Amino acid sequence: MATPEPAESKHLRILVWDLPTRIFHWFFVLCFTIAWVTSENDRFLYEHIYVGYVFFGLLVFRFLWGWIGSYYALFRSFAYDWPSVTAYLKGLLSGKASRHLGHNPAGGWAIFAMLILGLLVAITGLLVLGGEEGHGPLKGIVSYEIGAAAKEVHEILASTMLFIVFLHISGVVFESLFHKENLIWAMITGFKPASDQVIKVRVYALIAVIMLTAILGSATLYFRGYVTQTDAEPFIPFSSPPLPSNATWLTECGECHLAFHPTLLPARSWQLMMKQQDDHFGDDLSLDEETIKEITEFMVANAAESGLSEAAHKVNSSVPVGKSPQRITETKYWKKKHEEIDDKYWKDKIIKTKTNCGACHLDAKTGWFEDSNMRLPKLVTEK
Amino acid sequence: MFKKLSLLLILTWSISAQAAVVDELLSSYKSEGAGNFSASNGEALWNKDFPDPKEPGKVRNCSTCHGKNLQAKGKHASTGKVIDPIAPSANKERLTDAKFIEKWFKRNCKWVLGRECTPQEKGDFLTFLRTK
Repeated sequence: MATPEPAESKHLRILVWDLPTRIFHWFFVLCFTIAWVTSENDRFLYEHIYVGYVFFGLLVFRFLWGWIGSYYALFRSFAYDWPSVTAYLKGLLSGKASRHLGHNPAGGWAIFAMLILGLLVAITGLLVLGGEEGHGPLKGIVSYEIGAAAKEVHEILASTMLFIVFLHISGVVFESLFHKENLIWAMITGFKPASDQVIKVRVYALIAVIMLTAILGSATLYFRGYVTQTDAEPFIPFSSPPLPSNATWLTECGECHLAFHPTLLPARSWQLMMKQQDDHFGDDLSLDEETIKEITEFMVANAAESGLSEAAHKVNSSVPVGKSPQRITETKYWKKKHEEIDDKYWKDKIIKTKTNCGACHLDAKTGWFEDSNMRLPKLVTEK
Repeated sequence: MFKKLSLLLILTWSISAQAAVVDELLSSYKSEGAGNFSASNGEALWNKDFPDPKEPGKVRNCSTCHGKNLQAKGKHASTGKVIDPIAPSANKERLTDAKFIEKWFKRNCKWVLGRECTPQEKGDFLTFLRTK
């Protein structure tokens, strides 16, 4: 436990926050912010996942640094008991709160809360990634249901963390005013005014260089596809093993439109569709019995109920029992996912119809419809 | 030289495959009661307009999807999917699969004409198309 710093004799400027701690702090801020912004739109899931990994990596570093780092970064230097917190807060109200060179008791609690919440946010994020999205280290280990449940927890934890972040920022601003020193600037430069009687820390430049190299290097590797992509071959962030296919299905359905993967509607929809093949949206498909049978069997075996992809799970749970929609665009899930698409896109020549999935979804042919594998095309009218 | 020769071989093979498939279809249409076939009647059918049952005032014809130019790519009227050229001179896969031809005759005659085509109409059309 740290002893409060006497407020007098502040002639010197002492390094309090070593460089790795500052790099941790500001990259942690950056990751948390980007994670919030990218969580608004599925399109940015790929970016969200990257900052999530960096967030996690930074936390792992910080937990280590809390044991083996420099003095003011050590957990024991700001692990105060609760009475110290109440005493500190009472001191604030009476205008007599002591100044702390490192974290004050209330701030220390906020730090622990953010670190623990951050770790839980990262872990639940990995559960969502593995279970619901089918990617990451927990792919195949976590079930879809656990992934979907983890998503709720992930969001609640992140919101709670945001609340603590606001408390932390308020505390920093308040204390900066209270003790007339710029604590934000101190977290940038690392220096605080103090007497030379206090514990000094080293910069730890080598560890800082390793951290920055790791972040920059991983970002380059992760995002290089966006740099090397061309208009003809856009970067497709997520790639997954192919979903089940069938030559007859691919040929017959693909002759007039994208061969919509069976995972995109429930089995009962496909059965009805194949039964009505002599009036397929106004066309008599004139398929022979053998072809109808083969396609129906393939569609039923791999329909939404199979849960082969995230889209399969979500389409299936959005179609009421007893309903057999004949268009994917009629399902509640499709509608919800596309409600924010401006009308001008649907009307543009480049998209033309809502069946033209491939105009935006770069992996439409594979049937996956991964969150980040889409982008709004340049409209003909805007070219 | 070898490349040219093999290309020529493939070309000859595909042309003869086309010839055999079309000849067989034509004779089966005759056995179903069709008379002699005329390319100009086939061309007339290709160009003929039929009323669109869904949108009064509009018409449907072969070029609604295949385009005016038989050697060029067409576009599916409702889905917008690109259709490879229908003319065998521009697309060597055309007229090589009897089952495929029959399926599309049924599908497209029903859509454009509102009924199946007669053996005479189908024979006239194939006689026209094989020269293109």
